[in-house]
Amino acid sequence: MDSSEFLHIEKVSKTFPGVKALNDISLSVRKGEIHALIGENGAGKSTLIKILSGVYQPDEGAEIVIEGWRAHSLTPIESAKRGISVIYQDFSLFPNLTVGENIAVARDIEKGSTFVHWREMRRTAGKILERLGVDINIDASLGSLSIAKQQLVAIARSLTYNAKLIIMDEPTSALSKGEVDLLFRIMRSLRAEGISFLFVSHKLDELFAISDRFTVLRDGKHLGTFDEEGLDDDRLISLMVGRKIEYTIFPKRKRTEPVLEVRGISRTGCFQDVSFDLREGEILGLTGLVGAGRTEILQAIYGINPPDSGKILLRGEEVSVHSPIDAVRYEIAYIPENRLAEGLVLRKTMSDNIVVTVLDKISNRLGLIQRDKQNRLAQDWIQRLNIKPNIPEMQTSKLSGGNQQRIVIVKWLARDSKILLVDEPTNGIDVGAKMEIHRILRDLAESGMSILLVSSELPEILAIADRIIVMRRGRIAGQFDGDTATQEMIMEKAILGIKQQVG
Amino acid sequence: MPTNKLSAFIRKKEFILLVIFVLVFALMSALAPRQFLRPFNIQSMAFQLPEFGILAIAMMIVIVSGGINLSITYTATLSSIVAAVAISSMGQAGVADWKVILLGIVIALATSLAAGAINGFVVAYVGVTPMLVTLGTMTLFEGVSLNITKGGAISGFPDSFLWLGNATIIGIPVPMVIFVAIVLASWYLMGRSRFGFSVYMIGCNPRATMFSGINVKRVLMGVYLFSAVLCALSGLIMSSRYNSAKESYGSSYLLQSIAAAVLGGTDIAGGYGSLSGTILAVMILQVITSGTNIIGINPYLTNIIMGAILIFVLALNYLSSRRESRKLV
Amino acid sequence: MKLKIRKGKEAGILAVFLAISLVIALSSPVFLRIDNLFDIIKSNIVLGIMAIAMLPIILTGGIDVSVASIIAAVTVIIGNFMIGVSSNIFAVFVVGCASGAVLGLINGLLVAKLKIPPIVATLGTMSIIIGVVLYVTNGTWITGIPQNFINFGRTDLFAVSVREGEPIGLPIQFVFLFGAAVLMWFVLRHTLVGRGVYAMGGSVVSAERIGYDLDKITIFIYTFEGFLIGLAGSVHTSIMRQVDPGAFSGFELHVIAAVVLGGASVLGGYGSVFGTLLGVALFAVLNNGLILMHIPVFWQKIVVGVVLIASISVDILQKRYSESRMTRVDIEPVEG
Repeated sequence: MDSSEFLHIEKVSKTFPGVKALNDISLSVRKGEIHALIGENGAGKSTLIKILSGVYQPDEGAEIVIEGWRAHSLTPIESAKRGISVIYQDFSLFPNLTVGENIAVARDIEKGSTFVHWREMRRTAGKILERLGVDINIDASLGSLSIAKQQLVAIARSLTYNAKLIIMDEPTSALSKGEVDLLFRIMRSLRAEGISFLFVSHKLDELFAISDRFTVLRDGKHLGTFDEEGLDDDRLISLMVGRKIEYTIFPKRKRTEPVLEVRGISRTGCFQDVSFDLREGEILGLTGLVGAGRTEILQAIYGINPPDSGKILLRGEEVSVHSPIDAVRYEIAYIPENRLAEGLVLRKTMSDNIVVTVLDKISNRLGLIQRDKQNRLAQDWIQRLNIKPNIPEMQTSKLSGGNQQRIVIVKWLARDSKILLVDEPTNGIDVGAKMEIHRILRDLAESGMSILLVSSELPEILAIADRIIVMRRGRIAGQFDGDTATQEMIMEKAILGIKQQVG
Repeated sequence: MPTNKLSAFIRKKEFILLVIFVLVFALMSALAPRQFLRPFNIQSMAFQLPEFGILAIAMMIVIVSGGINLSITYTATLSSIVAAVAISSMGQAGVADWKVILLGIVIALATSLAAGAINGFVVAYVGVTPMLVTLGTMTLFEGVSLNITKGGAISGFPDSFLWLGNATIIGIPVPMVIFVAIVLASWYLMGRSRFGFSVYMIGCNPRATMFSGINVKRVLMGVYLFSAVLCALSGLIMSSRYNSAKESYGSSYLLQSIAAAVLGGTDIAGGYGSLSGTILAVMILQVITSGTNIIGINPYLTNIIMGAILIFVLALNYLSSRRESRKLV
Repeated sequence: MKLKIRKGKEAGILAVFLAISLVIALSSPVFLRIDNLFDIIKSNIVLGIMAIAMLPIILTGGIDVSVASIIAAVTVIIGNFMIGVSSNIFAVFVVGCASGAVLGLINGLLVAKLKIPPIVATLGTMSIIIGVVLYVTNGTWITGIPQNFINFGRTDLFAVSVREGEPIGLPIQFVFLFGAAVLMWFVLRHTLVGRGVYAMGGSVVSAERIGYDLDKITIFIYTFEGFLIGLAGSVHTSIMRQVDPGAFSGFELHVIAAVVLGGASVLGGYGSVFGTLLGVALFAVLNNGLILMHIPVFWQKIVVGVVLIASISVDILQKRYSESRMTRVDIEPVEG
């Protein structure tokens, strides 16, 4: 390791039960460098960050070197002591406290002092803000600042820890162009002082505007580290997508009857002027980078956060869906991305989770649930979708990811929904189980169900979607047919060109 | 098969409660055999338990839904006070007794439903945390009650009204009959109906339940309305037994009903609760209060015992759940 | 933007306070008489100290319904201490504060270490404490307070002469209210524990990440609350010159109402000593107004209940609105 490097890691792997999140990663970050970390959802970026910040410990055999100091793993305290500072997406700030306190109170906490030294705190905060060249009132309440300014406060706080490497997770997702410019200006001036950044983002155009080097991760593996000259649009796209499609590719069908028509819907801060058709019996893939607004579209159709303007038509008739209750009445189903927190009630049994949508079907006129009907229904569906283990009374939390996802799907099948809104259905599931979910979805489409499928995994989309819509930054960027599309074509629409730099 | 069911039952919490009940009962009998085991005392307990048991069920249901209802005792007394005013003025006007009583019951229910609607609205539709809402409504209801009674008690019930709280049907106290009816109704409602099913789901994970298309707001409103109905019935029994209505009656039942729910295995965070467990807990607590009263233990000590039971059970729950999670790691 | 709303909240409370005072003054000029005003102050000093004591707990999203039982216990303890051991005023106060602190510590441990929800934990301790108090005293009052203590309690800071009768003065107990306010202000503003309270109220997750010891802070605020309640108990005894264990029944609701009226938000760590004092003032004036205007005192409970619900509802609605309008996606501008 040479002395111009701040951080150098090798042979870093991380295995969770059933899944290998990181596989033999190596990474080096130089002093005074802005280093981009690129990869799709699930590529292992957040796991890597957690290892660097000491929240996770890597598998045996890992080597971590920070400015010459060696270790096999880090603790949060050690990591902070060595100069690594992470700014999470929620910033870890206090909206009810002042800017100055948000920046500098950590010093007093560290020292374990009884009293708070306001003058020093203000001086420290003031100096750091000056160093950053930012004009923010120290006494302003943090909650009154824009997100962009709050982020600068978060960076300022890192500097009080004498951070030498600041890791930022999706820092620009809520910033306007002008605010991004300011952030970059500050990052560059800190870089000149020798501070390094590890920058995780999906906004490739911005990454290319600011980064010195890029590391690409895919499926937990390190694909390569490049500097700007070594990377262009095509190379980048091929790196990000170039895996072989291991999935079974299903024959694509051409459908014609629109069952759901979305016309010009917009929602402030989520998406703008989105129009498309979902046809009967088709799987329409909705893809794009994370943060493009795909989940927001699903949630708008399902009534969780309805659009501010535009129309939604169901079989030709305009409908207004104000809540999930309306949506269910219109026979729309929603399989949320966060399966554990939003798709299932983990403490309850498989049987209970399956019938929650069809309580009216299994109860009699008095509103009493007939246990035998419930058991039969649950048993029936568990068998039909081959859910293991075949014990309806088992707690859902004890199932594997793939089986849990099947329960989520099953509860809507029991409802006989006609439109299925699915968000990242195979997230965190192993390959074999993924393919089975694909088969289930295709079978459902065959039998007439219309599926709007959000997925970040391009091979998955290409395997099962009949048509594909690509979103980019809240708008629709392109449409393709499932049989002619390629990963490159999709990626090209999903990102802005590298040469189209920001500021 | 029978042995499996038996052993499964033994391992369940309800069995432990049954054992505790038997032990406490035996303890009280041993400490004051002549008074405690007297038929009069047994009957007296049977008269007293229902008003408490009904409130405990009302509390359990709200806790299962993920909340808490601090206003149950004042809802009960407010309903009984409003009903009492109506009954006593009607009675003086010479209206037929049974009509008067029926009217009283209807008015009590109407009052409690209004009270429950306030709770339900602010919890379900405005979204304020139940603890704070019911803290406010508890004060509000007490204030309204005091406004009506001016601090005193309302009496002047026709004799036939006393039947509700003091008579027996084939030897079984009327309140106990009412209580059993409520238990059956609650068992169906919570254990067998769609509504009850939804309440349990909401108590575990309101967001996922909402995403599944269940009208969470309506169910929560229903929870507070149902709990209010139970409060009204408890209030009617109390005012019939004491032959008067006052806002402070049954105020000790607030703490006791939470203790009963928790002791009966209800998860204070919501999502899990057993009706039979709560009833067994009610029986245990009732035996404790009656027994300590008979033995001659200062009534103030009873409060201490109740508070201690509550804290003890919660502490036990926490420690055992920590041990469980350590086992998993 | 949010800070302005908060500062606006305290300004709003002040405005309401002035408005209500005006209404009362217009309908009963007696309100503005010096002796009435000083009377209001004297009868609400204890409420003031207790509301200040509870502020940090509300700020962190907790609650304590055992405060009335704690003060009852303290008054009984110091009553017996004064008569049986020593009537040294300083000693009495020390014993009062210490016993309050011990009781508060119990609450703190239950909430922090056993993770019992504050409402349930304090309901439990409330019953136990008041049960013990009533059991030990059997409800009997303690009279026979030593003369020096009585004299101490009667002292006025300064006298203001009044048209009829004896001169009215600002009671010496006011010093304790002032002292408690300053002390709490100092703790909340200048100690790390105090800042930790606000941090916890603002974001528990961030507070933990940044290194605050949440358990320690929780235990502290309940113990400190107990300490100040002990102070309030000593002050109360000096005012009333006797001990009535049952005198505080239902008082906890007044304290909670005063804190919430004073703008302390259960949701975000907003609130201040000044606001709490305003809340107490508002509560006191409302009460006095009810009496002067011959409105039955029962209305007080109704008003308290309604205000509690309304004030918290507004808080929640504000928060929900701002959350639903958050920006999630940076929408691409249309290309020309």
